[in-house]
Amino acid sequence: MDRLPFRSRVLARFRLWFTSAAGISIIVAALAATLTAIDQGPYILVNTFVTGGMWGLMAMGLALLFGVMNISNFAHGEYFMLGTLVAYYLFESITKYLIRTPNSIVALLAPIFAICGAALAGLIAGVMTDKIVFLQLRKRSREEWIMNCFLITLGLSVILINTHQLVVGTSYKGITQYWEVPPASIFGVYISVDRLFASILAGIIIVIFWLYMKFTRIGQAIRAVSQDESGALMAGISVNKIQTLAMAISCGMAALAGGSLLFMYPSYPTVGLEPLYNSWFVIIVVGFGNVMGAIAGGFFIALLQVITRTYVGEGWEYVIPVMLIALILILRPSGVFGSKVRGIWEQ
Amino acid sequence: MGNEPQKQNTNLFGQAMARLGFTPLGILGLGILAILPLVPPFNQEYLIRWLIMGCMMGAAAIAFDFSGGIIAVVNFGYMAFFGLGAYASGLVALHWRLPPWFIMFAGGLSSGVLGFLVGAVTLRLRGMMIMCFTWFVGLALMGLATKMVTVTRGPRGLLCPPLYPDASNLPYFYTILVMSLVTYVVLSGIVRSHIGLAFRAIGQNMEGARTSGVNPLRYRMLNFTLSCAFAGWIGAFYAHFYTVVTPDLLSTAKTVEVLVIAYIGGRSSLWGGMVAAIPFVFGMELIRSSLIALPGLNLILYGLFLILIMLYYPGGAAQVYDLYIRNSRFHWLRKLSTTP
Repeated sequence: MDRLPFRSRVLARFRLWFTSAAGISIIVAALAATLTAIDQGPYILVNTFVTGGMWGLMAMGLALLFGVMNISNFAHGEYFMLGTLVAYYLFESITKYLIRTPNSIVALLAPIFAICGAALAGLIAGVMTDKIVFLQLRKRSREEWIMNCFLITLGLSVILINTHQLVVGTSYKGITQYWEVPPASIFGVYISVDRLFASILAGIIIVIFWLYMKFTRIGQAIRAVSQDESGALMAGISVNKIQTLAMAISCGMAALAGGSLLFMYPSYPTVGLEPLYNSWFVIIVVGFGNVMGAIAGGFFIALLQVITRTYVGEGWEYVIPVMLIALILILRPSGVFGSKVRGIWEQ
Repeated sequence: MGNEPQKQNTNLFGQAMARLGFTPLGILGLGILAILPLVPPFNQEYLIRWLIMGCMMGAAAIAFDFSGGIIAVVNFGYMAFFGLGAYASGLVALHWRLPPWFIMFAGGLSSGVLGFLVGAVTLRLRGMMIMCFTWFVGLALMGLATKMVTVTRGPRGLLCPPLYPDASNLPYFYTILVMSLVTYVVLSGIVRSHIGLAFRAIGQNMEGARTSGVNPLRYRMLNFTLSCAFAGWIGAFYAHFYTVVTPDLLSTAKTVEVLVIAYIGGRSSLWGGMVAAIPFVFGMELIRSSLIALPGLNLILYGLFLILIMLYYPGGAAQVYDLYIRNSRFHWLRKLSTTP
């Protein structure tokens, strides 16, 4: 393809993309979104964008962890829960402080402060998890690594959920909105500023993360470790540190998603289950370890759930996606965007 | 347990037991378990209920380990198959007047059929994808059980007729004991047969198995279907013992419970699940009933226990057994723990 002139090179790439599974599914999703938007009004699109960005963010962390450390994290939703919890307590204490000493700038910045606090808590929790648990396992044995790690994350999930229950109780700890301002209007759809901020934040984080992975030396090191661990070790990369970092970033993203969605998901022990399921749906659809595909997958799953909820009814949003995922798996076992996962015949 | 080279032995009983997959130590434990509900501290009704729960979890863990340990296909929607058996058996019992022990096979059949279908779709994939897929199947089944209110009565729970008319728990205990024995004997018999050799080969080294002419898909499907069918059968017992089945039974949390028991027992040992289940259930229930002021503490301990096991003894109880009992310094202990 290199010999061809630039224009036909681009055209050829486009043709390749349109006929690939990724291209077809994105086009089908876009068509479905347009049709439902025509039928039901544009709020479908807005809803999809708000939740899809966050599911993409969560799934990206999950995919990163799988790519770098081969850990399929079942406790990912619990870091989301941690994010909601930290954001709630930070925001509550700032609100209490504001009642005594009103200050408009602090009131404007309070939600951002709470979300940053949540992300920071997620980062710290990620580092601690890696140091306390996975580093120990890495030192001991690499046999059956994927399964052992999965079970450990199961244990982590149980511990975190029940610690939450034991320490702060099972009550719903939520807020109605971060910013007490009237909703903004986009395409004639009223959307609360919180939702708008959450989706913009997701976009910003995704772009920053992409730039970080693409252009910084540490990002390159992370990608190197995810491609070949021993090769990275030979090239002088400190694999242990990179893995700790990946764990921290992954958990930090989940906690950030939790913090910024606090108005939708009040903090209670099992709040993480729904985000967990959704990010796993995404991972399955796009294929394991595919970090950038996770974003498109996030929108895809969000759209699917919004459509299911609109046309079939509340509560069916797990049944229909599962059937679709079954179809996808039958047709393409490696996920829509393709990755390391293969069938047993081509292992 | 059955992989030892056979020695010449004239002890007919021992040989028969070895053929069924029991060591002398196993028979001893079984005998103790069988008379346990007649011995004073354990003959109270609520303790018998715990014993029943333990046996049920143990049997479920054996069937789980049959696919999870032996061929390394973790069925993460296991309790959905268990719950499907419970629902199917309960519904058949409600609509037709058949003897309940016969109806329980309907539970096994329905789960087996679903297991076959799910297996046909997923077992071409690798372990992790199978796990996710079965997980989602479990979620979907749970959603269906909650939503199909006309059939399953939704979250209010399906009321099933009890297995025995009298209120005593003792007959239930012996029923589930026999059921778990049947599960163990059948599944361990399969594992020690030539089919089981193929299973173990697939579980340990897929490439090697394929090179030797083993068709992984066919054996995996056989294994998975059997595991699901036994799950459904035990689930049917659940339905007729507790007499109420709610969609909650199908949840992932319950699967995790079985999985933890199977892994604490030791993967691909089969008997490990049974050994781990009863102390585990008793421990959980004791902590729960004695520390009411601290809800969830038992679950924290159980998560902690799972992590510690995975870090320090990934082989579970079977690893401890191999290290300290089968290769013990004491001759009699070694002799007790090997098949004659």
